[in-house]
Amino acid sequence: MSDAKNTTPSNGSPGDVDEIFVEHPFRQFVVMYMRNYAAVAGLFVFVLIVGAALFAPLILDLDPFEMVDAPLLRPGEGGHLLGTDNLGRDLFVAIIYGARVTMAVGGAAAGITLVIGLTIGAMAGYYRGWVDEVLMRITEFFQVLPPLLLAMVLVALFSPTLETVAIAIGVVSWTGVARLARAEFLRLREQEFVKAARSIGARDRRIIWLVIMPNALPPLIVNAALTVGIAILFEAALSFLGLSDPNVMSWGKLIGDNRDYLLDAPWTITFPGVAIFLTVLSMSLIGDGLTDAFNPKLRER
Amino acid sequence: MNRFFRMAAGGAALLAATAMSVPMAQAEPKQGGTLTMIYRIIAGHFNATIASGTPTGIPATQMFAALIRYDDQWRPHPYLAESWKIADDGLSVQVNLRKNAVFHDGHPITSEDVAFSIETIKANHPFKTMYAPVTKVTTPDKYTAIIHLSAPHPAIELAMSSQLGVIIPKHIYGEGNIRKNPRNSQNLVGSGPFKLKEFKPGEYIIMERFEDFFLEGRPYLDRIVFKKMSESTSRIIALETGKADISPFASDPQELTRLKKSKHLTLTPDGYSAIGPLNWLAFNTTRKPFDDKRVRQAIGYAMNKELMIKILYSGFAKRATGPIHPGSAFYSSDVNNYAYDMAKAKALLDAAGLKPDADGIRFKTTLNFIPGGAVWKRWSEITKAQLKKIGIDVTLKASSDFRSWIKTVAGHDFDMTLDSVFNWGDPVIGVHRTYQSTNIRKGVPWHNTQQFRNADVDAIMEKAGLENDLAKRKALYAQMQKMVVEEAPVIYINESPYHTIYNHDRVGNPPTDSIWGTSSPMDNVYIKQ
Repeated sequence: MSDAKNTTPSNGSPGDVDEIFVEHPFRQFVVMYMRNYAAVAGLFVFVLIVGAALFAPLILDLDPFEMVDAPLLRPGEGGHLLGTDNLGRDLFVAIIYGARVTMAVGGAAAGITLVIGLTIGAMAGYYRGWVDEVLMRITEFFQVLPPLLLAMVLVALFSPTLETVAIAIGVVSWTGVARLARAEFLRLREQEFVKAARSIGARDRRIIWLVIMPNALPPLIVNAALTVGIAILFEAALSFLGLSDPNVMSWGKLIGDNRDYLLDAPWTITFPGVAIFLTVLSMSLIGDGLTDAFNPKLRER
Repeated sequence: MNRFFRMAAGGAALLAATAMSVPMAQAEPKQGGTLTMIYRIIAGHFNATIASGTPTGIPATQMFAALIRYDDQWRPHPYLAESWKIADDGLSVQVNLRKNAVFHDGHPITSEDVAFSIETIKANHPFKTMYAPVTKVTTPDKYTAIIHLSAPHPAIELAMSSQLGVIIPKHIYGEGNIRKNPRNSQNLVGSGPFKLKEFKPGEYIIMERFEDFFLEGRPYLDRIVFKKMSESTSRIIALETGKADISPFASDPQELTRLKKSKHLTLTPDGYSAIGPLNWLAFNTTRKPFDDKRVRQAIGYAMNKELMIKILYSGFAKRATGPIHPGSAFYSSDVNNYAYDMAKAKALLDAAGLKPDADGIRFKTTLNFIPGGAVWKRWSEITKAQLKKIGIDVTLKASSDFRSWIKTVAGHDFDMTLDSVFNWGDPVIGVHRTYQSTNIRKGVPWHNTQQFRNADVDAIMEKAGLENDLAKRKALYAQMQKMVVEEAPVIYINESPYHTIYNHDRVGNPPTDSIWGTSSPMDNVYIKQ
C-alpha cells in the first residue's frame, strides 16, 4: 500500500511537493492525524474500550450472566459499581463483557460490508458498461429496502445467533461502500499510472486489486470506521427488539432486556446507552481524523 | 398512589350512605353497548370442534353454545341442554335439548347437530382423551341425544362445556373436509349468543347480538369487538385511556403492576381455575443425560423457584408443585417440592456419573424457550445462570416465532424447553396427555412431548380416568401426582399469573363468574353507561 502511495503521491498533482511530503508517508499520516485533537480523543476512547473488551476475562473473573444480587440495585449499592439489572446481574461486568460482543459484531459487520461493497463497487467502476448497469441496479435494489426491516427479517428467518446478526447487518449496509468504491474506480481507472500498468500487459485482476485498490482505499477506510459505528448501532437496535443471541451479553441486549424498567431503574439503560454512545462517537471522530490524515490538501496548511 | 388508595378507601366508607342509590341503579343489567376486548393473538378460525387454544376459544364460546355451562364453583348448569342425566352405570348420558334454540341462520338446533358435533370433536380435536370413551351418539327424537360410553367417564360433563363441547350446525359443516370449510372463519353459522359480523384476519373480530338466542333477554351486549393487540405497551395504553374495556389472560408483570394503579381498572385472577395454566421446565427424556431420572431431579433441586417467581412475576404468580393446578379439586400438595438445594443437586449428578471436568462443566445442553414476551426470555436466562452453578452449560435456543417453537418441541427436537400447559378442567382432558405413554404423537402440539414412559403412572391415570366416585378419584390422583413429581419428566415452576383486567366503570357482570372465565359465553355481561 505504501509503495503505491510513493509512486502516486496525491491526486495527480506532482507539483505540490513541500517539506512535509518528503517525510515517510506513514509519519506524515500520523502527524496529520495528531493535529486533530478530537480524533486523538476518539482514538483514546476506542483503545480503552477495545482494551476492556480484550482483557475483560483477565480483570474480572466473573460471569456476566450470573445473578449476583437483588435486581435493580442502584449504582454503588451492594458494592456494584453501576448497580444491577432486572435479573440481578452486575451491570458493570455486563458492560465490560458486552464490549467484546458489541465490538466483534461491529467489526465483523463492517468487514462484511467492506468486502461486499468493495467487490461490487470495484467491478462496476472498473468494467463499466453492462456490468456496471447490472451491479448498480442490484445496489439500488438493496438501497431502497429499509435496512432495519431487512435485517430483522434476515435474523428472524435464520435464528438469532451472533453470526446471523453480523451477516444481516453487513448485507443491509454495503450499498454506500459499493457506490463510493465505484466512484473511486471510475476516476482512477483513467489515471496515467493505471494506463501504464495496462500498457505493460497487467491483467484486469492485477490492475483492480494491486494497482487501483490501494489508491482507492483511503476514503473507504474512513467509511469503514463510520460503518463500524453504524453496525454497533444496528446491533443495539436488533438486540433491543429482542433479535439477538440470548447466550451472549451485548449492550443492545442490556438495553432491550431492561427497557421495561426504564421508569423504575433508568441507570440500567443509561449506562449501556452511554457505552454505545461513546463507542460510536469515537468511531466517528476516528473517521474524521482519518479523513484529515488522508487528505493531501490539508498537508499544505 | 398507595396513599391515595388508603384515602379513597376511607372516603368510600363515608360516602357509602350517600352513594347507596347509585350502585343500586347500576346493578340492574341493561341492554345495549359495545364491549371492546383486547388479546395478544387472533386465531385463524373459530371452529372449536377442530382446534384447542384460547385464541379460538374466547370468540368461539361467544358464537357457539355448548350443552352445559359452569359457575365459578365447578357446578354444572343447563345451557343448550335443558337437562341431562348420567346413567347409574356411568355408561351413557341422556341430553334433553331446549326446544326454542336455533342457529344463527334460523335452523332449529336438534339432536342430530349434537351427535354431529360430538363425532366431529372426537375425530378432529387435539384432546383425544376428551371424548375417547364415546362409542356413539344416538338420537331417539329431535330434542333428545344419548351419548354412549364404553366406560365410565367422569370428565364428560366438563367436556360438554365451554369451548370443549361447542355445538355446530350439521347442515353447514357436515359436508366435505371440516378442516377446510371456509365457514370456520367467514359467514359462520353458530348457536351462541353472538353472531359473527366481520372478521379481519390478524386484526379484529366483530360479533353482534343474536336476536333469537335461546335464553330470553340475553345477551345484554349489542356487540363485542375482539381486537388483536400483541404489544404489552399498546394494551396498557388502550386500557388506561378507556379505548379497551377488558383484557383477558394478562400475565405480564410490568403490565399488571402498572395497571393495578389505574383507578378505573380491576385486576382479577378469577376465572382461570378450569384453564389451569402451569409453567414448567420440560425434558426430552429420551435424550442423554435426561433419560436418567437423577439428572432431572438434580435440575429440580438446582432451580431456585421462589427467587425466579419473585424476579419474574413481581409477586403476581404462585408456585406450582405438580401436574394438577391448585385450582382443581384433584390437586394434592403431598409431593416432593424440590426445595432449592445445590448440594443435593450436585450429589445426584455425581451419582449419575456426570463429574465436572477441569472447567467445572459436567455436561453441555440446550434450552428452548417460547418466543415473544420478555418473561420467557428472562425465565430461560435465569435457568441458564442457575444451572451453570451446578456445572451444566446451557445454550439458549431462540425460535424465530411461536410456530417454529411448537414445531421444534412437538417434533421432539429439543433437550430442555420451557412450556406453559393448561389443565383444561378435568385431569383426563388436560393432564393425562402430558404423561401418558400412549400419547406420544410426534408433530402434535402439547402431546407427551417429553416422551415420558412409566407403566405405573399410565395404569393409575387409566384407573382415575374411569372412577366416578369423587373421593376415590381424588385419592388416585394424589398418588399419581406424587409419582409424576418424583419421576420429574418436567420441573414445575409456577402457575401462570393470568388476570382479567376490566374497566369497572363500564363493564357490569364481568366474565369471571365461571371456572372458564372469558372462555365462556358473555351473555350476562353488560355495559353500565
